[in-house]
Amino acid sequence: MSKKVLVVDDDQDVRSFVVTVLEENQYIPLVAQDGVEGLEMIEKEHPDLVILDVLMPRGSGIRLYHKLKTDETLEKIPVIMFTGIALRSFLKSQKVLDEFKGGEVPKPDIYLEKPVEPEELLAAIKKKIG
Amino acid sequence: MKIRKLLFVTKFEDLCYDALNSLLALRNASLEHVVFLNVIERDKVAMKRGSGYLKEEEVKLKETANIRFIDWAENLFEMGLEVGAYMEVSTLIPEILKVAQKELPDLIVIGHSHKGVLKQLYAGSDVTELIRRTEIPILVFKHRIEDNIVPEKLFERPLFATNWSDTGKKSVEYIKDLKDVIGKIHIMHVVKESALKSLDTHEVQKVRKVERKRLDDLCDELEEAGINAKPHVYVGDPQKEIEKAAKEYQASMIILGSSEKAALLERWVGSISKNIADQSAFPCLLIPGNKNI
Repeated sequence: MSKKVLVVDDDQDVRSFVVTVLEENQYIPLVAQDGVEGLEMIEKEHPDLVILDVLMPRGSGIRLYHKLKTDETLEKIPVIMFTGIALRSFLKSQKVLDEFKGGEVPKPDIYLEKPVEPEELLAAIKKKIG
Repeated sequence: MKIRKLLFVTKFEDLCYDALNSLLALRNASLEHVVFLNVIERDKVAMKRGSGYLKEEEVKLKETANIRFIDWAENLFEMGLEVGAYMEVSTLIPEILKVAQKELPDLIVIGHSHKGVLKQLYAGSDVTELIRRTEIPILVFKHRIEDNIVPEKLFERPLFATNWSDTGKKSVEYIKDLKDVIGKIHIMHVVKESALKSLDTHEVQKVRKVERKRLDDLCDELEEAGINAKPHVYVGDPQKEIEKAAKEYQASMIILGSSEKAALLERWVGSISKNIADQSAFPCLLIPGNKNI
């Protein structure tokens, strides 16, 4: 059965790029435009993988990642971070949120800094969900 | 009303990271979320004879903004703040209102350059239009004229000019929520010269005494809320006297309530608030009235 992959990104060009990669490789793409919509989709659809941007309107990927990784029902969903924000800043922000909100979230398994080639993205997806 | 979220509208020439940085004191007043907005004016990418719609220019401008926002956002994320960003080809005021409706900020920050074109663009009519169409307070940010440097401690020594309107009361409640960032606030009321036209010295002094008493009561109210406040009565033209008081007390910003009723009549907003926001050397925090009349 095809696996569902949710792309959360406010940039339409990026969403189109990822959706094309997913469709060409028999994954089922789902899309959300911001962190709030992303969380709603995750709770509703329980995707097999989330590809998550960081800097977005109405809720960033920073908070969404922290929320996912501190929620017992969602923490198992693998996440690929796909963003222009440097890993160093991402990790620092998670540390601050850990102190502020409690919990200690794991580092993302895969952190891709934009832009990437389709092959690199596909390899990352395959590594997480086959 | 606590300032949890602010909308930072920038064209980069007028509002940059130093300005944003000076607003971060608001973290002590509950700030947790900053939303950036860059509006690319349509005429920058509009159809031109022989070249059509300038898509490449749009991409370039959006990506330039994106790169700046990413850099700023990294700093804010590392402080534990939530950050969002919009880069849109649009018209300034409608886009600000659209984003404000989506994000529901507690404060809108817009820039004001002392240079010509931007002055027209961001202040004046634009501020007036924004005040008319939103209930969200607006901070018209300014660099210091003498050295073009951003005032470091924007909330340290504000001057609040009250005209005793209902909006003035709303402003007081807003100020109370800033108690953890305000060092000392100067509160003033300007008595118009016409109110002092009397041959009787006693009557003239009575006017001052009444206004001073009201200001004292207001200062007591703010001090009860934990804010150090000092009252001042001035006489004369409100715009000139407010500017004068701001200079005399080295205010870090001017806070003004803007009466909705007067806005409709194009008086308060059309003259005092607008003119101060437009012409004053000081940053101005404008607190619009409720839109239910």
